[in-house]
Amino acid sequence: MNAPERESTEMHPQPVIRTEGLSKRYGSTLALDGLDLTVGEGEVYGYLGPNGSGKTTTIRLLLGLHRPSGGRAELFGLDAWSDPVAAHRRVAYVAGEPFLWPSLTGAETLEFLARLHGGTDISYRDLLVERFQLETRKKIRALSKGNRQKVQLIAALATRAELLLLDEPTSGLDPLMEVAFRDCVKEAKERAQTVFLSSHILSEVEALCDRVGILRDGKLVDEGTLAELRHLAVQTVEVTFAGQAPELRPLPGVQVQSAGPNALRFEVSGSVGPLIAELSGHPVATLSSREPSLEEIFLHHYDGSDGRAER
Amino acid sequence: MDLRPASALARRAFRDARVRTVSYALLFVALSYAQLVAYRDAYPTLSSRLAFARSFADNKAVRLFYGEPHDLLSVSGYAAWRIGGTLAIFAAIFGLLAAVRALRTEEDTGRMELVLAGVVGRRAAYLSAMAAIAAGILILYFAELVGLIAGGLPVGGSAYLALATVSVVPVFVGVGAVASQLSPTRRMALELGGAVAGLMFLLRVIADTASGLGWVRWATPLGWAEELRPFTGARPLVLVLPAAATVLLLVLAARIAAGRDIGTGVLPARDSAEPRLGMLSSPTAQALRSERGSLVVWLSGVGAFAYILGVIAKSSSSAGISKNLNRELGKLGSGSIVTPTGYLGFTFIFFVLAVSLFACAQIGAARHEEADQQLETLLALPVSRRGWLGGRLLLAACAAAAISLVAGLLTWVGAESGGVAISLGKLVEAGANCLPVALLFLGLAALAYATAPRASAGIAYALVTVAFLWNLLGSLLGAPKWLVEVTPFAHVGLVPAQPFRAGAALIMLGIAAASALAATWVFERRDLTGS
Repeated sequence: MNAPERESTEMHPQPVIRTEGLSKRYGSTLALDGLDLTVGEGEVYGYLGPNGSGKTTTIRLLLGLHRPSGGRAELFGLDAWSDPVAAHRRVAYVAGEPFLWPSLTGAETLEFLARLHGGTDISYRDLLVERFQLETRKKIRALSKGNRQKVQLIAALATRAELLLLDEPTSGLDPLMEVAFRDCVKEAKERAQTVFLSSHILSEVEALCDRVGILRDGKLVDEGTLAELRHLAVQTVEVTFAGQAPELRPLPGVQVQSAGPNALRFEVSGSVGPLIAELSGHPVATLSSREPSLEEIFLHHYDGSDGRAER
Repeated sequence: MDLRPASALARRAFRDARVRTVSYALLFVALSYAQLVAYRDAYPTLSSRLAFARSFADNKAVRLFYGEPHDLLSVSGYAAWRIGGTLAIFAAIFGLLAAVRALRTEEDTGRMELVLAGVVGRRAAYLSAMAAIAAGILILYFAELVGLIAGGLPVGGSAYLALATVSVVPVFVGVGAVASQLSPTRRMALELGGAVAGLMFLLRVIADTASGLGWVRWATPLGWAEELRPFTGARPLVLVLPAAATVLLLVLAARIAAGRDIGTGVLPARDSAEPRLGMLSSPTAQALRSERGSLVVWLSGVGAFAYILGVIAKSSSSAGISKNLNRELGKLGSGSIVTPTGYLGFTFIFFVLAVSLFACAQIGAARHEEADQQLETLLALPVSRRGWLGGRLLLAACAAAAISLVAGLLTWVGAESGGVAISLGKLVEAGANCLPVALLFLGLAALAYATAPRASAGIAYALVTVAFLWNLLGSLLGAPKWLVEVTPFAHVGLVPAQPFRAGAALIMLGIAAASALAATWVFERRDLTGS
């Protein structure tokens, strides 16, 4: 992006990704239901959801591969369905499944994808090949899934595109390569690239993302920074007493469990103030409180739900 | 031993092949029945049959397609020659495809690995694949039998003729099974098996057309089917040959399969290569790069066939042919086929068919790229749908043009060396004459691809096959003229015997262009569809 453009976007910040009431129906299945999403420039956005919740559908709609049944999707202010090519010059995409050409070698594939995209940084690509330890002389059909995934990742990262659309990019990668991937995303963030990371690997999202959206059955059920999500979610407070644990008055939004002969565990949604006030009249020995992990927040949204349609 | 897993596997394989099996069965019924009705209708009297027989007795050119006739005076003798000869070729293709699909494709896709990780062993997996194919063969057998009996042939003779035709299938199942063991990929297995089938066909052609080389017939399963001599002095003992060959090939395949790693072939797969960076500048260039192998096969196959046709064109002779018979032969859709020029005009309609089928195959390849989701990778890049499809169509059209011209050119080379005086220009024109129909089917196939992607290859091949058979049989079956002329093949001028029909060609090109545009319009508006 050149300088004057950046100036104008700062004055009227235009989101990199914007959807309005975006819906997609496949036959009788509603895969995506009125999605409103905004991702700003330079943001690393984590898109969370289990299999079949509509993550890949969202990305296909953003890329104009599938046509919205309702609403609209925009990349850089360009309509995703009617003007895909112009948008794709500024986007690099990594699919969850690496669909490449079996008879081409890794090097040939990288070259092909680079020529089609234009603007690939060759020296950065060579660095990535080294970093991901890709054997480029091998044909795609002889590569394992993880290695094919590396080919895709290298091709996408080397374009240094303004927007990286990553759909479960680390599926099939070993832990060492996952570390390499995280480094690459951090570098992209430093270069002010926008990253849309669809994933169900919570630690990855927790480590990389500024903002997180949680998808359930095609609907965005929660969205915000990690701090915001934590604030809204349940906190765990564990208390040990000098002597036997007392009987406490029931408090709204607080659930009590026994955690041993003289200990209690409290699950608090909202403020912990009333609980502290209540405890002050009792002989508290130790008190520990823990912020909920992203996993707990995530599971909280999926409590008791299963059996969603695969899409 | 628990047979349930193996039988579940066999049923699965049978279901996978159901579309192919049913299509071939329909072809077997239709062709058997229609040929019989057509022959009775066209040659009702003994004298007309005599004249017909005489015209073919020496016509090596026609034998090339159908084999050596033994008796053309009776309906059954005609059936044995014409139906047996044609269907034997389809039987060979069926056997080859069935075996490669059930064995190599399963390994190529990794499904076999999944199966063998379960309770089914190698031997049981192999046997259940074979059982599924055997069921398919049985269906083909009864399809032909029904067609023959419905066409009025006696039950016993029909049963034997159908047996002779279908005896070709298991041998080529064996060929496909061995090819599947040797080749590390599906594509290579098909090419290897296809090369063997082509060679077997070539041997039959040589045996049936070259004087003094009749013994070559014993070297090819297609020849054995002839030597079984249905209706003309049956020799059931010959069945020992296909039976022995089948057992030999299948046992060989099983032994190779038992001794190798799953997912590999005996021939090494080249898994690494120095990068070659040519032809990667656009999706179209890359498509040409990946299709060039099959393009070379098409060009050399059509070229070799054209050359042989050219060489034997001279043997078409007009001696002893009455005007009346010539008119009857005209009903076969061939005009006069008893002069070299007339004969070449007649045979070029088969090139029109071949190039049209090539066009379908190209659309099939495009669909493959979408079904395997590489298209998704492409369209997520700055590649437009219009550009991708347009490039594919342009590539197919250019390749079809190249094949057409090679057909014309090599027929001329063959005719020259065979001593037939015919101008190069005329035969290049005959080649170019293949294009309008092929492009028409390319356009229609593209439209099918855009509107019904999953069914598109089937629709395209069915359209071409039905249109072609309808041209051959429609008039013989006494259909009204307007109905016969629905098929584009009826509007092809039989160059070089007849003049090029520019008007019809223009209309076909017009429809082709309109279909291609409509296809692009629809394709730009639909979701990408996986397999």
